Amino acid sequence: MLSLAEITKHYDSGAGKVEVLARVNLTLAAGESLAIVGPSGCGKSTLLNIIGTLDRPSGGRIELDGRDLTGLDEVAMAGVRNRELGFVFQSHHLLPQCTVLENVLVPTLPLADVALRDSAPGRARQLLEKVGLGGRLGHRPGQLSGGERQRVAVVRALINRPKLLLADEPTGALDRSSAANLGELLVRLNAEEGVSLIVVTHALELAKQMKRVFELRDGALHELVDSH
Amino acid sequence: MERCMNWWILISRSLRFHAKSHLGAGLGAAIGSAVLIGALVMGDSVRGSLRGMALARVQGIELALASEDRFFRAALADAVAEDLATKVAPGMQVLGTASRTDAAARANQVQVLGVTPEFWALADAAGELAGLRGGEVALNRRLAEQLNAGPGDVVLLRVTRPSGLSREAAIAPQEDATQSLRLQVARVVGDAEMGRFSLRASQIPPFNAFVPLGWLQEALDLAGRANLLLVGTREGLSAAAAQAAVKAHWQLADAELELRELPGTDELELRTGRVFLDEAVTEASLGARSAGRAILTYFVNELRAGERYTPYSMVTAMGAPVVPAEMGDEEILVNEWLAEDLRLKAGDIVELRYFTMGLGRGLEEAQARFRVHGVIPLSGAAADRELMPGFPGIEQAESTRDWDPSLPVELSRIRPKDERYWEEHRGTPKAFVTLAAGQRLWANRYGNLTAVRYPAGASASDLSAGIAGDLLARLDPAAVGLRFESVRQQALAAAAESQDFGGLFLGFSFFLVVAALLLMALLFQFAIEQRSAEVGTMLALGFTPRQVRRLLWCEGGALAALGSVIGLLGGVVYARLMLAGLTTIWRDAVGTSALTFHAEPATLVIGALAGTVVAWATVALALRRQARQPARELLAESAGEDQAPSVAAGVRGVWLALGLSVMAAGLTAFALARVQEANPGLFFGAGALWLMAGLAAGSVWMGRLAAREGAGRLTLWGMGIRNVTRRRRRSLATLGLLACGSFLIASIGVFRLDAVRDADRRSSGTGGYALVGESTLPVVHDLNTATGREFYALEEADLAEAEVLAFRVRDGDDASCLNLNRAQQPRLLGVPTAKLAARGAFTFAKVAGDSGEEHPWELLRGAADNAGDSGAAVSGREIPAVGDVNSIVWAMGKKVGDTLDYVDDRGRPFRVRIVGALANSILQGSLLIDEEAFVRLFPSEVGYRMFLVDAPSKDADRVAGTLSRALVDEGLELTPATRRLAQFNAVQNTYLSTFQVLGGLGLVLGSVGLGVVLMRNVFERRGELALLLAVGYRPSGVRWMVLSEHGLLLLAGLVVGLAAAAVAVVPSIRSSELPYASLGLTLAAVLASGVLWTWGASRWSLRGELLPALRRE
Repeated sequence: MLSLAEITKHYDSGAGKVEVLARVNLTLAAGESLAIVGPSGCGKSTLLNIIGTLDRPSGGRIELDGRDLTGLDEVAMAGVRNRELGFVFQSHHLLPQCTVLENVLVPTLPLADVALRDSAPGRARQLLEKVGLGGRLGHRPGQLSGGERQRVAVVRALINRPKLLLADEPTGALDRSSAANLGELLVRLNAEEGVSLIVVTHALELAKQMKRVFELRDGALHELVDSH
Repeated sequence: MERCMNWWILISRSLRFHAKSHLGAGLGAAIGSAVLIGALVMGDSVRGSLRGMALARVQGIELALASEDRFFRAALADAVAEDLATKVAPGMQVLGTASRTDAAARANQVQVLGVTPEFWALADAAGELAGLRGGEVALNRRLAEQLNAGPGDVVLLRVTRPSGLSREAAIAPQEDATQSLRLQVARVVGDAEMGRFSLRASQIPPFNAFVPLGWLQEALDLAGRANLLLVGTREGLSAAAAQAAVKAHWQLADAELELRELPGTDELELRTGRVFLDEAVTEASLGARSAGRAILTYFVNELRAGERYTPYSMVTAMGAPVVPAEMGDEEILVNEWLAEDLRLKAGDIVELRYFTMGLGRGLEEAQARFRVHGVIPLSGAAADRELMPGFPGIEQAESTRDWDPSLPVELSRIRPKDERYWEEHRGTPKAFVTLAAGQRLWANRYGNLTAVRYPAGASASDLSAGIAGDLLARLDPAAVGLRFESVRQQALAAAAESQDFGGLFLGFSFFLVVAALLLMALLFQFAIEQRSAEVGTMLALGFTPRQVRRLLWCEGGALAALGSVIGLLGGVVYARLMLAGLTTIWRDAVGTSALTFHAEPATLVIGALAGTVVAWATVALALRRQARQPARELLAESAGEDQAPSVAAGVRGVWLALGLSVMAAGLTAFALARVQEANPGLFFGAGALWLMAGLAAGSVWMGRLAAREGAGRLTLWGMGIRNVTRRRRRSLATLGLLACGSFLIASIGVFRLDAVRDADRRSSGTGGYALVGESTLPVVHDLNTATGREFYALEEADLAEAEVLAFRVRDGDDASCLNLNRAQQPRLLGVPTAKLAARGAFTFAKVAGDSGEEHPWELLRGAADNAGDSGAAVSGREIPAVGDVNSIVWAMGKKVGDTLDYVDDRGRPFRVRIVGALANSILQGSLLIDEEAFVRLFPSEVGYRMFLVDAPSKDADRVAGTLSRALVDEGLELTPATRRLAQFNAVQNTYLSTFQVLGGLGLVLGSVGLGVVLMRNVFERRGELALLLAVGYRPSGVRWMVLSEHGLLLLAGLVVGLAAAAVAVVPSIRSSELPYASLGLTLAAVLASGVLWTWGASRWSLRGELLPALRRE
């Protein structure tokens, strides 16, 4: 479903060229889950941003369901992010002015598909029910705990039935118990919703719950075969 | 089923949630809208007030016929009223002066109005005023206040005594030219009761004195006569209909004509109390079915043959039956009495001396020689004493000794035989010439015949009716001054097209609006920047940047609309404050305190919409850079800092700054080289270039500072300054706002006008004249001649070295900037072109075409050629005119080359073409045309009523006092020319003050913006500042750093603005009128406000615990 071929990324700075990603190759099948681990600054988030079309690679090719994403314009990339990808960040980034349900429905606003948009509230309620927030639909983010907010963010990422869910340090801002719960939730949703999952994390516990684990080292991905 | 999420829910949720952070932006939008709406409401208020004043002055009057020195039957009003089926009031309007009996107070330019109860009925104010009795006067409020008189007080009015023959005619008597009336004040008339009655548009009420018509008729020996006909409003009423009604009912008496049977003859004679028959009457009468015989009789001073002479005789120009057809135009028939007196026989030469009827009352004597054709007996048609017209002062005299003593005759020259001739034959002509010869000598602007005679036969009365009917049918009432004007329509048009105060105050408030909008944009942008993570999230969730911007734009639109709604209330308050200013501290600009608040619903709606659109557009501008950054950057903490400019951009900036500096330096040098004659606009332009160069240099400096690698020795001050570059655009916007504001406020003073500067130069706005003045009643004598001065009992020494330049006046609308109404028909002045040209008086700001640049005054000369000797030639022609540039542009809404339509004395339309514009002068308010053209167009305008006096400045006060005392009966009022110019200048200067005050407010608002920027900057860097505290910096040190950064912006803004302004004000440095005090105060207020906001904001931002901020870092 997803394939990364020879992805490179470098930045120009006053001190010269800084290479972040050297040769990243990766394939991910539908419904598969994987974790990317590595030390701070190794380029994990950069790689995730490139996969999520929030950043462009300096070289290489990304294909999602056989479609090359690197040549898309801004509007097309926004469309891909909206319909085919889901994001969960370290910080929940919920809109404080909206209720839980409304936050979940925000990604449906740019949808042109009326049927999908009309069915979205029902799906949102269903998903929120599934993550244990069925009774908090009308609450504002400020009225939720950190773990609850992150669960809302996960539901928001899934609302448009994406093919791929990208999570960047999703448990980074959570306490141990909330982090464990969120990890379980991600794995469960990966299975139940049939969505592929890539998690970038420092947390080995979370990484180990993924089917495959890669380490980003020296700008390249190395699969850790004994992850399970 | 729950609601789906939609855009509007998201927008309304955002607005509600972020209400606090939007408060400032909403307030900015509200201020901007309030100022915008307030300015437009100012326009409504001035227009509404003027409309109110216009309706107050015309009340229920639709049409008016004001025939000035021509009097018709008051009874004509009844017939016209019946035809038009509306109220018609006859009246008499004469100009005069008023004073208290104790001479403690006095008023010139008083309209004395003889009125009937119908007049009051036009204002539904009959009641008490309708019962005004003879010997009583009702004063309008302004006159009552001027005279400090109330009911029961006695006042003196002095009015012109109408005269058949123009007082200006050389042979018209001068005694009893005015009439003094002693009256008791019965009432003071309010504005709603016709107190403001006037046929001229002005926001300043006239001085009105109302007396009963019958009483005034009696006092002026004009029983049953009127010169004013006022027609009340009625649906569908037109001037043409009223004109037709007059035509249908008028009689010869209404044209001041009389058709009488000549005793002892079988002839009818058409004559007029005006002595000379108007040309229009002549044409109509000679073209009538019954062929008339034209007669012109003139008063000659002397008939001379060699050493012998006969003084003061009548000579008639006519044809048969006295003058034979074969007689030549160079020949003369003398009666036997004259032949004997001068010992004449056929073939002898006779010399005639007579006064000419040229310009003014200059007693110029002309002479003509004739060869005696023959001697005729003093009998039959040649012994007709009726040939002498009704020369006032002569006609009724029993003896030559009874001739009016003010006639320019030397009674000592009259011999006993002349006296006997008068006793026996009265004014029987002693000689006869052909009509052509007589008209060549004596035709004048009042007419070219004194009578037309018709053979009557047996049925004289039937024939009389026939001739009269035929004549009246052929004569247009307008040709003899009976012409209706749609005064109501004109009044409303003058108010509707008045000075656009809405636009004016929009201009004055421009900087305030810009400052408010900039503040709004800043605050809105800050509010959005605070939500950069939200924007980043939306982009990450698949919103396109355009969709995100649209979302924020809608939020801004809602804010703008809300701001405009609040602005409606603020606008009303702002307009009321401006009105209060305009009627108090800025009163010089409008000359009245009677402006009241008016707001049209449409204006409020338009203002609110405009406010919304402008604020929304500002939001769109502020948003155009939003959501352009990638989501990952927006989601990061340091979002929003400006990058150092690229090398290429830096180089471009340097070139821009250098280029602007070179241009500014060049323009400054050019302006300085021509400092004497350079236009202030040149200096203003140079200043503006320096300002732009300064801002470009500021931008370059900030860019360099941002790109610099090392900071050398690290100090708090140095760190503060480097911080300026972190938000370079924000810093530059603040700098620009302060610099532009201070530049505008400080430099706009350059356009202040100084009346005193170069006042003694002939090219200045005073024309080099020391005094300017106007008289209420015309002055017919030349004050530069010994005779003229003698008439007013002026000693030669009184006016030594003084010279008076007199202008003729055709009343019209005041077109000076003191009149807020649009001048529909500006006042016309007949000026002696040659004298003005010889003097090189005043400076022309613009002339039509290139030919007039060298001798611009000569452009007026075209008038004489165009007007032609025959009045008919004027019709359809154009008369060149010159006016003050301010009057032309602002009061008339015209430009050089444009034309205005007028109607001459005979009711014929003509056009005045503006061929030149005088730079800011004391001649504001009128159009100047050549005097010769003037007298041809307006022969009924007697004498001179406007004067410029050239006198040594040390003697100006004495000359003014002497002349005013000598011409007190004429109501002469002289003012130093510089004071008059200062009054006109006060309008522009007051507008500039208004701009400065409102601009100052804008600048203060700009300094508030500086405070806001500071707070925002500090808020964004709280973590960083906390770190400084954590590593041991004292709070005062950190505050100093923050203050130094923003204080630098404040100072730099003011310095750049003021330095540029210093160049712009060079021409005003010498002027005493540069308002150093108010300017200093404004700038000090800006500096103080800036420092206060900066200091306050730094205190506020750094208050409380910074540690949590550090933890967040």
